[in-house]
Amino acid sequence: MTSIRLEIIESAFVYAPQEIDVLNIKNLVPKMMTRRRLTRAAKISIYLSNEVSFDKGRIVYGSSFGELPATASILNAISDKEPISPTHFQNSVYNTAISYLSILNKNEEELITISSGDKTALNVLKTGAVKALDGDTLLLLVTETLNIEGIEKVNTCGQYLEYGVALKVRLSNEKPTLKYSDVDEDSTVPNSVRAMYNITKQCRRDKVNIIEVQL
Amino acid sequence: MKTKNRVYITSTSSVSCAGNNNQILFQNILTGTTGIKQDCKYFFNATPAIGKLDTQATFFDTLILECQKVLEQSQLENYKKTLLIIGSSVGGMKTTEDIYIDTKEYANINPDKHHIQVIANCLNEVFDFYDDISFSTACTSSANAIGYAYEVLSKGLYENVLVVGADSLSQTTVGGFLSLGVLSPNPCKPFDEARDGMNVSEAIACLLIETVPKEGSIEVCGVGYSSDAYHMTHPKPKGEGAYKAMEKALKEANLTTYDIDYINAHGTGTEANDSAEADAIVSLFPHKPYVGATKSITGHTLGAAGALEAIISSMVIDKQMIPANHALESATNKEINLTNELQDKKIHYVMSNSFAFGGNNCSLIFGNIK
Repeated sequence: MTSIRLEIIESAFVYAPQEIDVLNIKNLVPKMMTRRRLTRAAKISIYLSNEVSFDKGRIVYGSSFGELPATASILNAISDKEPISPTHFQNSVYNTAISYLSILNKNEEELITISSGDKTALNVLKTGAVKALDGDTLLLLVTETLNIEGIEKVNTCGQYLEYGVALKVRLSNEKPTLKYSDVDEDSTVPNSVRAMYNITKQCRRDKVNIIEVQL
Repeated sequence: MKTKNRVYITSTSSVSCAGNNNQILFQNILTGTTGIKQDCKYFFNATPAIGKLDTQATFFDTLILECQKVLEQSQLENYKKTLLIIGSSVGGMKTTEDIYIDTKEYANINPDKHHIQVIANCLNEVFDFYDDISFSTACTSSANAIGYAYEVLSKGLYENVLVVGADSLSQTTVGGFLSLGVLSPNPCKPFDEARDGMNVSEAIACLLIETVPKEGSIEVCGVGYSSDAYHMTHPKPKGEGAYKAMEKALKEANLTTYDIDYINAHGTGTEANDSAEADAIVSLFPHKPYVGATKSITGHTLGAAGALEAIISSMVIDKQMIPANHALESATNKEINLTNELQDKKIHYVMSNSFAFGGNNCSLIFGNIK
């Protein structure tokens, strides 16, 4: 089994039982028309990328359920035999969040989006590690935005409905200082986010943080 | 990227509206026999032309059958050392739609049957893969999957990779593209002055990718990625993002523009895509390689398009035949080399383009190893 070590240069996470309200989005996206089009996942991504001081470079993004609010709106339109909103449709693809982030930051580098169910954050880490072998600094980002009406009937992902984790990483040859864990220590955390969330929780600002990713 | 291993497509299988196997698909592309038909089932009063699979089995049973075909054609005993890479834009959306329209309740929806991972989960129930990962970048999903396969194999990180591009039609996709006003009621006419939109369609395309060539293998020579950073649904008007992806793929493959004999264009038939892509091709390729678009035959298979068109590109190299652009009558951009006739010529390298919502661009280069 191949392993690749990553230095976590900066990390951040944010979550809320229903809707995260600390996103500072008015300052980060001053243009109202642009701001109004953003999905919840896009707002979380913009907030987190700012928190880890990343504006240009390759991004590996992950979400198990993607843009669920836009998807739910489309489902309702179909069910009600109404036309689908073009904005909801364009905002329903899984790569919406980082596309808006790239537009905002004029970031023309590679953007990849992973959706691997409960393994999403782990696969973001693996893909980030593979790409980091090229020598650049990458942003690894994972979000879930599950806050739609009636979600309680189907939610198996955790108590909190909005989650986001960001890791700014680069390749390292140093010994690992962090332990990879997908143990469910916090039932509020969706499985799809947990692998990166657990790393972020271990990171210390006064130390070099290294994680070993097993492929 | 420091390349270590060379990477080859060694076994493929596909099913699309243009054919239930690769041979029928390519024959239909050569003869201009389209799989696109008008359909009024999907959305209200509209009758867009779309491409549906013509199979007895369900979509997911067909998916398993296609992967089984690849395994039988290969020299592998099983997939135990294989990394499965999925490329899909909608995953289990149709299943969710069917339940929700019937009951208008989330309670009966199984989240594990909704998301993109449903495809890998379905295959993991039958085959034993080393690991799996699913990419969802809209219409570049399976092109990015092939790009990632190229990366991990050239870096020597896995033994072999099965790339599966799979998307089924749903009301979300048909109605969504209708809402954007880009669906044509006829088979699309990529790059033509009279083009009036695209055709959404469904497909499954599977490629086994390895580091040791077999007889008939096609090399994956390089991949280039870029982002437009411009608009969610419109490409940069002059195709700057497409240009950058193609340029990066050439650099990765250690090739020049003059090495490319044929470009399998993204060529959706929409005003915005074809104009931007044509401008990018004209800017980058001074020697005017042949350019073709096969979506008038297959439709736009969305997340499966990159994988399906990788198979088509491989067959162009294998058969040494460049298909005619059957739907083309008069090109908008006269500077790109769109042929109306089958070209029988020596083909060393083919570039295949895929572009997606969010300005996600991926160009792949395939090479002849004969």
